[in-house]
Amino acid sequence: MIWEVFRQEKPGDYHTHCGNVHAPDREMAKQFAVVQHGRRKPTESLWVVPQEEVGEVDADEVAFGGTTDKSYRWAMAYTSSTEHAKEVIASQQEQEQAEADRQRGDD
Amino acid sequence: MDVETVKERAGPREFSPADDMPEKYRKAATRMIQFHANSEIMGAYLEKPFIRQAPSIDRKLAFSAKVQDEIGHGQLLYRAAESLGIKTREEMLDELANGEGKFLNCFHYPMDSWAEVPMIAFFVDGAAMRRQATLKSSSWEPYAHAMDKVCFEEGFHVKHGEDIMARMATGSRKEQQMLQDAFDEWWPRIIQFFGPTDDKSTHHDFSAEVGLKQKTNDELRNAFLDAYVPKAKSYGLEIPEYPRIEEVGDGQYHVEEDDLDWDEFFTVSKNEYEPGKGQIDARKAAQEAVDWVRDTIEGDANLPGSQAAPAAD
Amino acid sequence: MAATEIELTPDQRLALETELRTLADDEFVIAERYTEWQVHAPTLESDLALANIAQDELGHARLWYDLLEELGYDETDLLWERDPDTFRHATLSELPFPEGEWADAIVRSYLFDVAEGLRLEALEDSAYPAIADRVGKIQREEGYHTEHAENWLERLATDDEGGDHLQAAVDRLFPHALALFVPAEPVPFGAETVSGDGAGSQYTDADALPDAATVEETIVSEGYRSDSLATLGERWLDRVVPTLESHGLRTPVPADGEITDELVPDACGRNGNHTDDWDTLYADFTHTYRELGREDATMIMDRPE
Repeated sequence: MIWEVFRQEKPGDYHTHCGNVHAPDREMAKQFAVVQHGRRKPTESLWVVPQEEVGEVDADEVAFGGTTDKSYRWAMAYTSSTEHAKEVIASQQEQEQAEADRQRGDD
Repeated sequence: MDVETVKERAGPREFSPADDMPEKYRKAATRMIQFHANSEIMGAYLEKPFIRQAPSIDRKLAFSAKVQDEIGHGQLLYRAAESLGIKTREEMLDELANGEGKFLNCFHYPMDSWAEVPMIAFFVDGAAMRRQATLKSSSWEPYAHAMDKVCFEEGFHVKHGEDIMARMATGSRKEQQMLQDAFDEWWPRIIQFFGPTDDKSTHHDFSAEVGLKQKTNDELRNAFLDAYVPKAKSYGLEIPEYPRIEEVGDGQYHVEEDDLDWDEFFTVSKNEYEPGKGQIDARKAAQEAVDWVRDTIEGDANLPGSQAAPAAD
Repeated sequence: MAATEIELTPDQRLALETELRTLADDEFVIAERYTEWQVHAPTLESDLALANIAQDELGHARLWYDLLEELGYDETDLLWERDPDTFRHATLSELPFPEGEWADAIVRSYLFDVAEGLRLEALEDSAYPAIADRVGKIQREEGYHTEHAENWLERLATDDEGGDHLQAAVDRLFPHALALFVPAEPVPFGAETVSGDGAGSQYTDADALPDAATVEETIVSEGYRSDSLATLGERWLDRVVPTLESHGLRTPVPADGEITDELVPDACGRNGNHTDDWDTLYADFTHTYRELGREDATMIMDRPE
């Protein structure tokens, strides 16, 4: 069986896909994952998931985020003359960053 | 781990499901996160009729998106609470339906007109954002992680609320008066959002000692007043005479807590305030009406990836 | 709003407006109904999914209303200060949901989404460029809606109780879905949208308008839509009837049937006759606009390109 491996670099991070291992069961898969994926890069935790359990939907099948204008759900669409609370500004900056990343990905 | 060790190690994102946390910690964290999740659902329930009321297409889109986000936050938070191993999401939603589940005071009060929307969407959401920003440092990692996503999304909520208020505040005399009337009614409840002063709060000490929360109710309330009293004034709102608010330093505000009705607050907190009971019961009825759907899909064991999970309503 | 650069004869403009009104009104009203399920859906996850669909449909309505705005109308003329009898959505969109009737939301969505999909295909090569330009974006989202509805049909049809709910929904909704394929009665031009030289001013009078069948012929002969509603209706039956039957459901019309007048309710929406529920719904969603004494509709986003 193939097991997809996901690594968490530091506590509090999300687990990211880093490859796979062949193993007959979960215990073996965990052991192989430790050897193949946990030795050199900083690792806090590893997950192993049977490949056939991973469901996928990709950009050919679905337009992520929709195709019509959704700017109503982004903080940047709203302007006002007052100064915003710092957590509102932080949220907007995060959203602007995410939007910039997404657009770079489209280029 | 014993409670003393927890207190020693307590720090931002320090504990996760991998740790063997003592029951006292797990119960305190569950209570806190469950309250937060319940509040997202009951807030969404209160605001939902105003999607229909939105007086423009764009406003309707934004409102629908906002209510949708709140359901999404509820879903995240129930997961974070479940991760403590005390209650399942289903149990927490059942408690919410039968009146045991606690939630924010503001969502026990009725909302009848559009002028009240900014009270929730700007002031209450603004207060919530202040609190949520500090909870990114909570010691329970799944909760702090959930706050990352919530804080990312909520900037638009507060700006949307402010936009609605700005439109009314610069509108006709009638609109401005409606806004002031709504503010007069909601302002005391908004201040009570942060709960009673810490001397009177039963759960604060332990939660603070184990790092679940970093700021006291008073600190959060004062930070909120410092930011939002000037904002209210900038939109032409008159701060009501009671509760008395004084400026104690440069731009620092302090409220006279005894001017607030804490009897009503405690009644509300125990889910014994009539309009709030009405909300809980109406939501319960709506949930029961769709029980059949959950029953039907729970039987669908053969469909790929299927999993029946409980409802928002 | 900037007027369209294309010169239209009054008959062309009437045909175009009629098509746009049905497209926009269908989307707006069904979106309005879908939002009723927010915070009331069977699961948190299904709540999020349906909210997405509601917002998509509202976004589509916005795209079509925008083209009407280019012909001289404001959002207030098209929604907030409009005579409810001039709405041209099919009654399928306006019907309320019986309490807890998730099957209605699913069946309604399925019947509507397949119909919209077929109509959008027939608009892909519209002789009116602005329509052709918008179709692609809308089609991709509608495709997702259809899949969502089909998944739910399958899940609900697995047991008797679910099947009963679905059948009740089909019985109630199917005749109103047929209304999607009924040619719409034209609506008089707004007086303020007729240019100074008076071209089209005769069509500001309801009594002077050609009938629905004539306008429908013009829509097709001008190439605004490549197929007639009758043809689209046949295609629609060919798709929805076998699908519903495959889930053990009966339909009042067979797959190879024809949509005739007797099958469609008198109050079908396209002819300006609506159900009483529509009057209530209209009063509801315009309540705040009127209470505030508004004269314009707040915009947050830029107008679509």
